[in-house]
Amino acid sequence: MKAKAARKSPAKKSNPGKPLHFALDSKLLDAPLTTALDLLGKVQVKLPKDILISILGGDPAAELPGAEPEPVYGAKARANVQGNIIPGFNKDHQTFLFFRVGNVRRAKAWLRWIAPFITSTEEVLAFVRIYRALRARLGVRNPPLCSTWVNIGFSHRAIALLAGAADAAAFGDQSFRQGLATRSTYLGDPTDAALPGHRRHWLVGGPKNEADILVIVAADDEQHLVATADAIKTRAAAAGMKLLFEQRGDNLPGALRGHEHFGFKDGISQPGVRGKVSTAPGDYITPRYIDHTDARAKMFAKPGQLLLWPGQFLLGERRQHPEDLVASAPPATNFPRWAALGSYLVCRRLRQDVPAFWKFAIAAGAALGLPPVQVASILVGRWPSGAPISRSPASDNAALAGDEWANNHFIFDDETRPSQLRPIPGYGGDGFTQARADVLATVCPHFAHIRKSNPRDVATDLGKPHDSMLRMILRRGIPFGPPIAGVRHPPRDLKRRERGLMFVSYGATIEDQFEFLTRRWANSPLQPNTGGHDPVIGQADRSGNRQRFVDFPTTTGTQRIVIDCEWVTPTGGGYFFSPPIEAIAGVLGA
Amino acid sequence: MALVTRFDTPASLRDLPPGSAFYDDWHTHIANRLGASTPGSGGGEFYDASETDVNIVGARDLVWMAFPRRVLMPNRDDRGAAFTAAENRNVQDEYCEWFTTRNAAGKIVRVTFVTEAPEYWEALWAVDRARVVALYRALVSPAVVETDLHVGGVYQRANLWNNANGIVHLRQAINTLNAALGLAQGSANSAPARDNYEMSAVASTAVDPRVTYDVGTLVRKGLSVTLRDPIGLYIAGWDDTGWTRPSGAPVGNYWTIVRGVPGQVLRLDYEVPAAVGFVVGDIRIGGRPIQWGGQLAEHVTVTIGGVAGGRAR
Repeated sequence: MKAKAARKSPAKKSNPGKPLHFALDSKLLDAPLTTALDLLGKVQVKLPKDILISILGGDPAAELPGAEPEPVYGAKARANVQGNIIPGFNKDHQTFLFFRVGNVRRAKAWLRWIAPFITSTEEVLAFVRIYRALRARLGVRNPPLCSTWVNIGFSHRAIALLAGAADAAAFGDQSFRQGLATRSTYLGDPTDAALPGHRRHWLVGGPKNEADILVIVAADDEQHLVATADAIKTRAAAAGMKLLFEQRGDNLPGALRGHEHFGFKDGISQPGVRGKVSTAPGDYITPRYIDHTDARAKMFAKPGQLLLWPGQFLLGERRQHPEDLVASAPPATNFPRWAALGSYLVCRRLRQDVPAFWKFAIAAGAALGLPPVQVASILVGRWPSGAPISRSPASDNAALAGDEWANNHFIFDDETRPSQLRPIPGYGGDGFTQARADVLATVCPHFAHIRKSNPRDVATDLGKPHDSMLRMILRRGIPFGPPIAGVRHPPRDLKRRERGLMFVSYGATIEDQFEFLTRRWANSPLQPNTGGHDPVIGQADRSGNRQRFVDFPTTTGTQRIVIDCEWVTPTGGGYFFSPPIEAIAGVLGA
Repeated sequence: MALVTRFDTPASLRDLPPGSAFYDDWHTHIANRLGASTPGSGGGEFYDASETDVNIVGARDLVWMAFPRRVLMPNRDDRGAAFTAAENRNVQDEYCEWFTTRNAAGKIVRVTFVTEAPEYWEALWAVDRARVVALYRALVSPAVVETDLHVGGVYQRANLWNNANGIVHLRQAINTLNAALGLAQGSANSAPARDNYEMSAVASTAVDPRVTYDVGTLVRKGLSVTLRDPIGLYIAGWDDTGWTRPSGAPVGNYWTIVRGVPGQVLRLDYEVPAAVGFVVGDIRIGGRPIQWGGQLAEHVTVTIGGVAGGRAR
């Protein structure tokens, strides 16, 4: 049965038992789409004011008596880890350069040239601290401080070329050795070569255009970005390297800064990496805000931010214990010794069809009797501002969205209890309504993107939440293309322009982290919990059938809604390894 | 919801004629293992649906991976080692076991998954041995004879045809329906916790915490929880996305439900029809050739159905 989409009034109510389908090409959806896109430009986030965060030297009060000591990353180690892994570039403008190695000897020379430009954890942490100090001293949100950073990753083929086949074979992650193109359909990408997401059509990373080297340039200033990228390209060309593809990424402007193209704030929930910058008491890489009198200080850096041992992201470091929420386990050893402190980098160029996503939300809203923005927010699990629906089920909440100690503080199965925070000068505390127990997933459904990719306290197909911690990744993506969200009457040519997300993640395995999250959870209607596919990033391709569904909660049960179209399409990428900086010239360029 | 007047067999199997006393025996078997009410720390309970009527507010299929997590975790840096180890049914402890059949060249030609409880077969044996032998012959080999299946009249769970020569039902020591019922009931009165992060340590399998946490959290809410009739361990799903033929094209649907019905699958075969021209061992999963049955088990899920509701106290 095809339900008529977007009936005007009254909205069509759901028909329990019969799955709903929507025809998204209906002209009836055009007017409400215009309204929805316009509203996204009015998304408000109220940031707390006059908060002073201690930023230098750590706070002795953050130490936890009796806790397992965390590794100290001294200056040498900090200078060896690439800065986009930890703590992340988080720059407004980035360029992704995908190269193919021509002549190995000349490529090595180029690596020796670029190695001093590679930005380390040390430099990014120093910048962040100075930036925060300036912010506090000047009393402005965006102090005039700029930098331009460069990081680099290598494919398995590149490592074989540059370091030798034996070293390449020593990388234990089989998915890395195979490459993204080989793993594409395993990730749910189309098997039908006629479909645009098929790897054969990828702009980079397909079977015939796999990149050897990915360079990420990030800058606050666009001119600096262009100049640095140009210099790298010029030297690369002189070294016989072929630029296969170049992608510019930019954070969205204005009120949508930090949002992805569908209009939702992105990157709120990231794991906190354990470890210290120095031996000074409390000098942690990830600032700790929970008071030691609250038992959750052992496992959370701030409310909702789980602490993970660094070996989940850096090869050769102690990693998360599979059976313990706070203890570490011995490091992995399945990699060449020189690769220690490196990380696997997954890059996916994902095209987003913003009108299709919102037309679906409009059509579903009409059928369910809900505003489109509420339907879309339930699909995501957060309102456009980033406020979690678990804490604000009925409407968006700008102040909640802007409160970094509150906007990620919620669990699903039980009542969320307030956290006892250490004193934060100027912060009045999390006074928002806490999330109620949602064990039946009637508020934030099991299919919701944030519940799929981060089930938090909920048991999964792999058992206890301890296992879920093994799956977490560091996300470092940035949008590309001109925004359409927030544009009241987008001209036709703007609608047609391509836009999407340069998805970037880091982890100590590709198979057990990125691929696990994608295939086992986002793409499965049963895992980690039954209720449908992840409607945002999930894909299905069972014998060519790409239909997905969600079991949408209603007041009388659930209504199955079939998703017949796709709004996220893979268009390129690759699996890379971000080596320790010393190895770029010392091993790969030697 | 009305009282369950007779617990049905798993997937409502009818291996004997409908009027057989076997079905009453099975009901008794289940009912005897359920306490009328197992109270929980939060005011909820696990209850016997044949004795207590509850207004159901939600149903939930608890789903977990068929591949044993206890084998996977110690080998998380060497999947090949995990797959090799897991071919031994003694370690297949997620209430799902599989049997890998290879051809003369050593290539896999069929992988059979089962979630059937040994207690069911013992109950069937007690009523009609000939029927058990007939089922074995149909499922495993025409060569099965009655004496292969018992010692002194006592049915042997790990008999020749449910061990070295084939698979009929679960036979790993803790893969029993009684254990599953005990796990579900026992989860009601696990140690008090305010949320799952406070739950005390549980087994390193996938299934134990899956059930313990899910039942525990419902009971904490004061809900009455039980297993959905027909009570059974079922194969929930199988995902062959990204599996390819030798040509690189996607595989066809080579799955066959042998016992049970969709949604309540008890026995599942994966075998390429002879006419297709290749065997399971020629298939690749995400570009990797199938060398072990466990590679399939990673993409098979198991489930037990639960319901929760409230009753006047």
